[in-house]
Amino acid sequence: MKRNQGLSAALFLLPYATLFAVFVLAPAVYGFWVSLHKWHILSPSAPFVGFGNYRQVLQDDLFRIAFLRTAYFVLMVVPIGNALSLLLAVGLAQDYKGTTLYKVAFYLPVVTSVAVVALLWRWLLSAEFGLINYYIGKGAEMVNSLGPRVISAHAASLPWLNSPALAMPAIAMLSIWWGAGGNMLIYLAGLKAVPRELLEAASIDGATPWQRFWRVTWPLLRPTVLFCLVMSVIASSQVFGQTFILTGGGPYYSTLTVVLYMYQQGFGLYQLGYACAVAYVLFVAVLAFTLLQFRLLAVRQ
Amino acid sequence: MRTGLERLRNALGQIALAAGALAMASPLLWMLSTSLKPKTEILKATPRWIPNPPTLSNYVELFTRTEEFPVLRWLANSIFVSLSVTILVLFVTSTAAFAFSRLRFKGRETLFMIAVATLIIPGQVVLIPVFLIVEKLGWFNSYAGLIIPGLAGAFGVFLLRQFFMTIPEELEEAAVVDGASVWTIYWRVILPLARPALATLAIFTFMGAWNDFVWPLIITNDVTMRTLPVGLAIFQGRYTLDYGLTMAAAAVCSAPVIVAFLIFQRSITEGIVMTGLKG
Amino acid sequence: MRLTALFALALTLGGCAGDARRAAPEAVTLNFWNGFTGPDGATMEKIVRAFNKSHPDIRVKMQIIPWGTYYDKVTLGLAFGGAPDVLILHSNRFPEFANYSSLGRLDDLVKRPGFDESDFAEGPWAAGVWKGTRYAIPLDCHPIGLYYNTRLFRQAGIVDAAGNAKPPETLDEFLSAARKLTVDANGDGKPEQWGFAYTWLRTNAFTFLHQFGADILTPDFRRSGLDAPDAARALGLMQDLCYKEKVCPKPEGADAWMGFQTGKVAMALEGVYMLTSLEEQEDLEFAGAPCPLFGRRRAVWASTHLLAMPAAVDARKREAAWTFMRYLSDHSLDWARGGQVPVRQSILNSPGFKKLQVQYEFSKELPYIAYEPPTVSYNQVVPFYDAAIEASLNRIKPTDEALSEAARRINEVLERE
Repeated sequence: MKRNQGLSAALFLLPYATLFAVFVLAPAVYGFWVSLHKWHILSPSAPFVGFGNYRQVLQDDLFRIAFLRTAYFVLMVVPIGNALSLLLAVGLAQDYKGTTLYKVAFYLPVVTSVAVVALLWRWLLSAEFGLINYYIGKGAEMVNSLGPRVISAHAASLPWLNSPALAMPAIAMLSIWWGAGGNMLIYLAGLKAVPRELLEAASIDGATPWQRFWRVTWPLLRPTVLFCLVMSVIASSQVFGQTFILTGGGPYYSTLTVVLYMYQQGFGLYQLGYACAVAYVLFVAVLAFTLLQFRLLAVRQ
Repeated sequence: MRTGLERLRNALGQIALAAGALAMASPLLWMLSTSLKPKTEILKATPRWIPNPPTLSNYVELFTRTEEFPVLRWLANSIFVSLSVTILVLFVTSTAAFAFSRLRFKGRETLFMIAVATLIIPGQVVLIPVFLIVEKLGWFNSYAGLIIPGLAGAFGVFLLRQFFMTIPEELEEAAVVDGASVWTIYWRVILPLARPALATLAIFTFMGAWNDFVWPLIITNDVTMRTLPVGLAIFQGRYTLDYGLTMAAAAVCSAPVIVAFLIFQRSITEGIVMTGLKG
Repeated sequence: MRLTALFALALTLGGCAGDARRAAPEAVTLNFWNGFTGPDGATMEKIVRAFNKSHPDIRVKMQIIPWGTYYDKVTLGLAFGGAPDVLILHSNRFPEFANYSSLGRLDDLVKRPGFDESDFAEGPWAAGVWKGTRYAIPLDCHPIGLYYNTRLFRQAGIVDAAGNAKPPETLDEFLSAARKLTVDANGDGKPEQWGFAYTWLRTNAFTFLHQFGADILTPDFRRSGLDAPDAARALGLMQDLCYKEKVCPKPEGADAWMGFQTGKVAMALEGVYMLTSLEEQEDLEFAGAPCPLFGRRRAVWASTHLLAMPAAVDARKREAAWTFMRYLSDHSLDWARGGQVPVRQSILNSPGFKKLQVQYEFSKELPYIAYEPPTVSYNQVVPFYDAAIEASLNRIKPTDEALSEAARRINEVLERE
């Protein structure tokens, strides 16, 4: 009945399609092309080196460090962050009084820029005057007052961002704070989509809330969980702002992440070909991991 | 039928939730508190939550030392860029979403899949090629460079298409019978009905553009072209230990989006529901 | 009517008189970029203004870009267009730009009669040459040297016969002074006053390395020199000062320069360019002296501001740029006042220069200054060195491990060149 509206469609799609072609498709292809050349921005020549850059990336021990540190970051942030988001969503789904206020409070960090988060947490993590150490100290005092001195006084002045062992966990901690609210809303929507009848039926059958969650809610929630995990991995593998602003990759490479390394290579050393290769290696790794997640976690219907 | 155990569980749950909310919000409250303290009151072994006496001196300093950090300029840049991006995104994505949902043409589904598939590409991966392309266009260190590359995100098209598809066809058919052109249908029928989705998209886009850090960092070179987050990050390197000043700057950077969020929070949460659920 | 005619006549005649011999050329505009954001920017601005006044046919427009983004702008400007006509380059960044043929050759200009190459100090003069071609001339030299608090010295009795503060010249004198000047009155293990403190680790450690005969790269600049035993020895001494002798605080987190400015640190090794930040301190009594001999031979870190122009510049601009560069060099005494050491012997020997206490003392180091090794991969190599020094001095890693890791990475980079 409706004729082919090809011309109208083309006109309507034109603005978006142009932008898409120029700023999404073209860069994807061009970036790969650049990665096949040895190209310093000032160099008059940019010789084609095939996969030479990729070989170099895989042998580059700083890239290896960046890759492992990024994986470390992802393995901390994704499970803990999603568990926290789910927990908060469960709490909100109970629909207590004042839930909207709580929802707003939990989501508020998401709304701020990484620059704000970084500045704020540099202050919070200050070894001498930061809030975090203050409350750790207070907590240690409380625990110690219960009996023997279990926790040493040094706990109250942890050198978070200056310690190679603590810096990445600190960045993971603030990243979790920053992002928990995002997935929380998605989980909340998923929880709310669980039909009440099923839950009530389980309740009548004598199931505890714990059992209700695992038998009824969880199976229905799995697609949402998979979605959130996949998106979390993709997002957290690209961590840049926090490390760039707070530590610059230090102390002693302990917070060097892949995108930061790519930035240093591309915009610090102006080795454009090599930096693009780093980017594509990251892309392939994340893609592979995403596919793996789908295979392991997707629900078999 | 609520047993005593259930009531206890509820009470504990509420307390836990309230405590959690307070804990999550407390860093932002601490940021505000620090920004209102005189410098001598900030580096104290025992933190005080209420500034005593509260002072605007940090804010005054932030806005008057324009040689070292032109905050007003950064603020103006952020406002201009974010508003421009929002308005342009609304136009560009609604036209595309309209085509994908209300117009019939060959390859409609395939093209849409391609667009959505790009959500998987981590944005940072193409940072350098986009930079090179923008430079070739002559837009390095310009407002065009700040605004235009970010317009082609697939998220907005996806969101709007989902919403447009829920609009009944009869309304459209009635308009066609009245002799409406395709453009009129788009402009007079679909868009007005899509206001909630447009509002959600607008607020998301605005917040995203305001908070964007990496792209403005790369595409601007002049201190006068920086947006607020980038300006913050760069200037804090020299004033790291002046926490009153940096917290005031952080507050200025986050206040607009927090206020916008508080006003539009319903739209936002509903918008996420719209996208998240389809899985 | 008559007035207008007379007026017009006067103008024409006046114009003709001026144009009589040749048409007056319109002024050449030169864009001059540098990173002098501090008080030295004001000093440079004065010199530029004086130049513009005395050279009506050339107009220099100076743009100050903070050093943090300076090299980005220069790189992008040279690569994509928009580069300045005259620019400042640090001697350690110079090889990159020279190597990619981005800079203009100056050989013919320096060979002109009337230009005295021999007036330039040797080390800085050589810093403007890459692979046998000259691409830049030095404007100044800025070594680090010993700053010391004269009041604290006098109070501790470290004086010469006339009762003036006596700066240490050898390691023993240094240790003895530092011990006397480190004061922990309340015995809590955290001295209120330190005899010494490390400022910028890169320059401080570089000095120690060179005094022990080590360097970041080997003399042929092809391999890393950090795995040499002398390097470990140098770092060993630096660590001892901190952890064994306890005359200086752990570098991490210590704001050494602020400590010196506020009289809490008695001695520090810092650049001559930090002078103005001390002159601003009203209550501080300080002086400068050549760096003490900590190791086997005299050496001290230094850098130089080189003047260069891009390769693609038209002949007229090239002449104007050269005139401007020569003017800056001739007036380097004015520039020195802002906290620099000139590199022209004629100026170094002038009475005007000898009056500048710190600059004059630091200029005595010119015969043994050590620049960072010239390599195209400087930007990649130096962070490895920085990381190793930091890790070693803060005891994050054992010195040997830190140095050998850095050496390995540096070698990988150099092999790929």
